[in-house]
Amino acid sequence: MPKIVRKTSPYLRRPKANVTRMMRDVFIALLPVTIFAIYKFGMAAVMIISVSILSMMAAEYIYYQLVDKLDDEKFKWKNKSFTLYNFSTITSGLIYALILPDATPWFVVMIGAVFGVVFGKLIFGGLGQNIFNPAALGRVFIVVSFGTLMTFDVDTVAGATPLGVINDDIFNLALLSDFSIMNLFTGMAIPGSIGEMSVILILIGGAYLALRTSFEVRIPIAFIGTVALLAGAVAIYKGISYEYVLFHVFSGGLIFGAIFMATDPITSPITMPGRIYFGFALGFLTFIIRIFGAYPEGVMFAILIMNMFVSSFDYYKWTNSKITRRQKIIFSIVILLSIAVTLVGVSYV
Amino acid sequence: MIKKSKKVKDYKLLTKTLPTLRYLDPNSVFIHLQNSRCKTYDMFVKEGDHVCFGQKIGVRHGGFFDQPVHATVSGTIGKITRKLHRTGRKVDVVEIKNDFLDTPHESVIDRTDDVIGKMTQAEMVEIIKDKSLVGLGGSGFPTYIKLGTKEKINTIIINAIECEPYLSSDYRLILEHPEDVITGLKYIMQALNVDQALIAIKAMKNSLYEVLTQVLEVRFPELNIQVVKLGDYYPQGWEVEMFEQALGIRIPPGELPTKYGVIGFNVSTAVGVFVAIKHNLPVTKRHFTITGDAIKFPQNIYVRVGTSVKELIDLCDGFIEGEKNVVVVMGGPMMGTSVTSTDVIVTKATTSVIILKDVEYKEEQCVRCGSCVYSCPTHLQPVQIMNAVKRNDKDVMKGLNANECIECGLCTYVCTSKIHVTEYVRKAKKLIG
Repeated sequence: MPKIVRKTSPYLRRPKANVTRMMRDVFIALLPVTIFAIYKFGMAAVMIISVSILSMMAAEYIYYQLVDKLDDEKFKWKNKSFTLYNFSTITSGLIYALILPDATPWFVVMIGAVFGVVFGKLIFGGLGQNIFNPAALGRVFIVVSFGTLMTFDVDTVAGATPLGVINDDIFNLALLSDFSIMNLFTGMAIPGSIGEMSVILILIGGAYLALRTSFEVRIPIAFIGTVALLAGAVAIYKGISYEYVLFHVFSGGLIFGAIFMATDPITSPITMPGRIYFGFALGFLTFIIRIFGAYPEGVMFAILIMNMFVSSFDYYKWTNSKITRRQKIIFSIVILLSIAVTLVGVSYV
Repeated sequence: MIKKSKKVKDYKLLTKTLPTLRYLDPNSVFIHLQNSRCKTYDMFVKEGDHVCFGQKIGVRHGGFFDQPVHATVSGTIGKITRKLHRTGRKVDVVEIKNDFLDTPHESVIDRTDDVIGKMTQAEMVEIIKDKSLVGLGGSGFPTYIKLGTKEKINTIIINAIECEPYLSSDYRLILEHPEDVITGLKYIMQALNVDQALIAIKAMKNSLYEVLTQVLEVRFPELNIQVVKLGDYYPQGWEVEMFEQALGIRIPPGELPTKYGVIGFNVSTAVGVFVAIKHNLPVTKRHFTITGDAIKFPQNIYVRVGTSVKELIDLCDGFIEGEKNVVVVMGGPMMGTSVTSTDVIVTKATTSVIILKDVEYKEEQCVRCGSCVYSCPTHLQPVQIMNAVKRNDKDVMKGLNANECIECGLCTYVCTSKIHVTEYVRKAKKLIG
């Protein structure tokens, strides 16, 4: 006669839904990009990826052992709060590695990885509590601290990335004659961060995630859509070719950031409308930083800045799980205003 | 798994195709004298008295209504003891020792169709009230209050959706007694003076559609009743969701559907109306499912109200072997109550008992995937309410309308991290009262 235990309803759970599956899917979606990076950069890519993943895992392991030590707990080799089992650290490490330039020295990779995982995730209480995307935080930290060491060592056009080239004269498409849109799309023969090269492979990863419903497809669509919209407005205003739009969309890790970093559920809003607005804000900031900022690239900064505002997207007086009429009106006005702001800015440049 | 997911694996195949067993009568039945709405009661009979089948033996006093208590067998009155009710609380029950004769009480007489045809709403309400019919889908709300509404009703919907997993008693009821359902609905239509009604079923239950449309065509060609197929998701059987899908009317939280000219009855309640008006009988037997993955032979049973669940479990050969712990659930596996003993009585409003293996789900950190927000049928944000409960922030709980939650359990079901979100929302509802 079995014992009858008391529980509370519901007594069933969705089969096959768990955090590990979600994180593992991101890892699998990154594999084509990773393989392409290794094919293209060889040992440099292998070094960056392995240093990054190993140092993130080590940092997390040591951090939790230290926390246990401070709590006067007995030393155990296997720590329970430690999230290596569910792929989240490996995934962060891989994403971080893929957004680095190929000539980054190993110690810079390590410093960024440790900084990212400790200050981006562990300090806040580990998986599920972090405010910032660890990979973006690590990347921005080393850009700001070790900028001169992060050069691109590929033997094409003197090591300059497309966005780096155009940063000096943002509307002169002639400067871009070395980068064909097709090359940007396939990732052949252009320099850049090791994983951000091939748009097509990133999109394959994104399609896999969308099929497995392991990420929120609205964020990348809103993000990329906004960049395309603003670039299109500028192109029409300046009377330049539509290639300007494609160039903005396909270059500089926009698609990589939109698919693999902006969609990190922990650092994005929780409601469906909130996620659309979040994607829009990311797109706007990215574009503004790209054309007006000192750095050629804006995706990482945009992600980090918007990460800070996630809790205000989720503020209970403003959120709603459905888009209301009022929200539609306000959102349309905001879109028009952002186009206006961009064009006013462009007329001064 | 970030998506709106309302599909719940339904496990109905365990019992769906099994014909209902005519259960042998128990040696004694236990009639509950209290329930969640009625705390006090009076008895008209004392220990040792002989009572007849369908006799009124007492009355329960509720806040604004009285509920007569009827004997469901004929026999001798035993002691008043305390037993578990389907709500998980102990209530006073009176034992009736069965004499297996089913001697009907003198009030139990069949009415002819002519008599019924001339009845008015008030007369019908009086009968229903006297037979203490309540919502048999599990709510237990007195039916006479619903039937006695003064609002103008345009459409009646019979809820035959049964969206909870595992349950199949309503399915079998319609398949085996479609005429009772439709006649009951006919009486309700007559009482409310409505000429249009719908029977809502799940789209996947095509056999019900065929049975009902055939019976309607052949036996009741004069009635304007349609069978509508609604979505195969959970909680389609929630009244608000059903009205929205079937008629396109969204009833705002806190308002009664009668205000919008619609009214819903469970399919078992319709049969209850039929029995009360045609045979002048209270609900003495009901279709009942006993199922789950920890019972040997899941069954549909036509069971006497007042039977102990223990006897039903024995009838199904007991629990499966090798399980250390089991969970016994009264009602469906999404919203039912877990009880601590098998010595629970079957009341009118109990649809099923489900015996499940005790699975420990490992909770992980919330990764804010938002599945609960996407899936919530009342458009709440369960995860935000959970976080507010964790920091005891009552303003936020109120601001997020936690009290609109219907406790359907979908947020826990879909949770990627296997967190028991519903429990937190329940706590929030308690905290903000």
